[in-house]
Amino acid sequence: MRVVIADDEVLLREGLDRLLTEAGFDVVGKVGTAAELSRKVELTRPDVAVVDIRMPPTHTDEGLVAARELQETHPDVGVLVLSHYLESRYALRLLEEHPAGAGYLLKERVSDLAVLTDALARLHDGECVVDPTIVARLFDRAGPTGRLDELTVREREVLTLMAEGRSNRGICERLYLSPKTVEAHIKHIFMKLGVDQSVDDHRRVLAVLAYLRGRQAPQEA
Amino acid sequence: MARATWIAVLAAGLAVGAFSLAVARDAPAYSYGGGSTFAGAAELVAGYALLAVGLTALGRRQARVGELLVAASFAWFLLEWNNPRTGSAFVFTVGLTLYVAAPPLVAHAVFAYPSGRLSGWPERVGVASAYAGAVIVLGLLAAALFDPAAEDCAQCPHNFLLVHGSRSAYADVNRVGVDLGLAWALLLALLAAAALVRANPVRRRVTAPVLAAGAAYLALVAAEFAHSTGRGFLDTDTLDRRLWLAQAGVLCALALAVASGWVRARRTRSEVARLVLELAESPPAGGLRDALASKLGDDTLELAYPVGDRLLDGRGRSARLAGEVTPLVQAGKEVALLSHRPGLLDDPALVEEVAAAARLALENERLQAETRFQLEELRASRMRIIEMGDAERRRLERDLHDGAQQRLVALALDLRLARSRLGVQPDPVELARVDEAEGQLRLALAELRELARGIFPAVLAEEGLTAALEALEEESPGRIGLTSVAASRVGSAAEAAAYFVVAETLRCDPAYRHDVAVAQQDGHLVVEVDGARPPASVVALQDRVGALDGSVRILSRGSGRVTVRAEIPCGS
Repeated sequence: MRVVIADDEVLLREGLDRLLTEAGFDVVGKVGTAAELSRKVELTRPDVAVVDIRMPPTHTDEGLVAARELQETHPDVGVLVLSHYLESRYALRLLEEHPAGAGYLLKERVSDLAVLTDALARLHDGECVVDPTIVARLFDRAGPTGRLDELTVREREVLTLMAEGRSNRGICERLYLSPKTVEAHIKHIFMKLGVDQSVDDHRRVLAVLAYLRGRQAPQEA
Repeated sequence: MARATWIAVLAAGLAVGAFSLAVARDAPAYSYGGGSTFAGAAELVAGYALLAVGLTALGRRQARVGELLVAASFAWFLLEWNNPRTGSAFVFTVGLTLYVAAPPLVAHAVFAYPSGRLSGWPERVGVASAYAGAVIVLGLLAAALFDPAAEDCAQCPHNFLLVHGSRSAYADVNRVGVDLGLAWALLLALLAAAALVRANPVRRRVTAPVLAAGAAYLALVAAEFAHSTGRGFLDTDTLDRRLWLAQAGVLCALALAVASGWVRARRTRSEVARLVLELAESPPAGGLRDALASKLGDDTLELAYPVGDRLLDGRGRSARLAGEVTPLVQAGKEVALLSHRPGLLDDPALVEEVAAAARLALENERLQAETRFQLEELRASRMRIIEMGDAERRRLERDLHDGAQQRLVALALDLRLARSRLGVQPDPVELARVDEAEGQLRLALAELRELARGIFPAVLAEEGLTAALEALEEESPGRIGLTSVAASRVGSAAEAAAYFVVAETLRCDPAYRHDVAVAQQDGHLVVEVDGARPPASVVALQDRVGALDGSVRILSRGSGRVTVRAEIPCGS
């Protein structure tokens, strides 16, 4: 898989390059700014771009903005944003327009090779990726209010995986369940929670996250 | 003007008047005021009235107008000196030269009233041509050509100014002088009438009586010249005398008009004084400006106080004055500046009256303005300190992310690479060490993130108060009930203040579930957080919110529970 890395910190760029190369990825470009990123993507046509959320000049959310631009201009290129922030709002900002092929992971995940390769592979397949810690926090938050109490333990597991952006197939693999069983679980969950089931796979994650956040789902683009 | 000079001028004026009347009565045929007691009385009254207001104006520091009026009074009398029977060559020569000097002097005084300056070039040209026509053509030039012997004037005294006697030239000069006189007198009368019509309401109130009397006088002068164009010289026939008598009357009116200006200034002073007493009882900030504007009848009036190198208005805000500005001076110091419609305060006497009457109120309001200004400076300075603190917190937060955290992540990457170097069959002890190190690193990163968030949450700066409170809720599951958050983005300082009111209240009791409500009301962010006890940092919160002119109150809800209520101005 061909990967471009965008991070203004040389140490991280190089480390990530070595790690991904060792893991069998083909790192075709390394850049330090958002502008360079878009040029490099145009030039090398990678499968996935790994983008740090904070980049020059203001070191706030340039990476997020660049990622959203990339989704507009190159919908076939997956984008993985690495962030310091646990706030679900940032993840939603990335996903709300084009959830397909977009991912939001905490930065320290880079050292967890399994999570990283899994995420890159899923993005390459057009799935979306939400950091498990963020999902876990949302579950904590929703817990005491009792909204999730009606779900069985298995259903909660399925909901968690949906919130992380996994497809039905992914959920089957993780939980060692048959596709039919997973579909049945999902149907039950949506009925119990009163969430619209007609949303497509990619929008599903948005609906689930919005439900967990207890706030309005982002508007359709 | 020195007192001695003043008395000398008064004595000279009285003497010249008396002497002129004596000359006139001695040879009434050649005189204007010598024919009857009434005419004589009119002559004296008109001349002395001009002398009186002229000298009074000198005493009231209206120097130029005063000088002109005194001069006009002398010139008025000198008309009688142009009398062949004076018996004195000196008196006769002076009379020959200056017998028409009164009209230009009166016109000059009228147009220069009350400031002493001639306002426009038409007035300057008119007055200059009047001087030239009256004193040079009809005075000096005619005198240089007037030979008493050649004119068959046996009783005439010697003419000191005679250069070359010529009957025909003398007659020509007189004819030209009279024609010119008709021109300049008409011009000046029209200018006075035009000034009367054109003046803005404020100025008209001050100058109208003087301009009206002046215009009437100049019209009479013009009539006199018109009557004389046929014969080619000024004379003393019945109509001449009647016109002259009318001039005397109009000059008395002019003197009264000038005097009435002082009465009005005095009345304004007492009005201002009364008003100052009213203001002293309950002075609203900036009230003096409104009071002066209404009493002086100029709603464009602005009042400003020089403090240091700044100008402040009555409320202590920086002021800028435009248009005509008059300083109010007390004890040689400019205590205030007034900007106003042109001409409103041309009369220096009026300015003095206002400054004197409003002395205490001015001083009082100036001090208030200064205090308010300093308070505002202080508030702005507090605000800057808070903003600098926030900026510093924000910088620290970024430094933690971009510095320490990046290095820790890089370290985690290195560890990961080191782990893969351990080979396919790693030494269990080594592997355990790496696992331990990775675990520690994860903890360090999580703690660092918490620390950075506590210093200044990036989401607050980037996404605003609502997002930051939602994040706070996510971070502390079950501890916050956001009952209502209705806040669009307002200034960053107000948002930060509101956020920290909530965050600090949350810190003091980890087990309590807080209801949080944020609303925007009447340009304020109103934040209400309930808690088990007041936040420990309530003073710091009050300082932060106070710097924005807001307030933090702790309201008791019974059984030890409280509501922290902050009202923070946010400008929308």
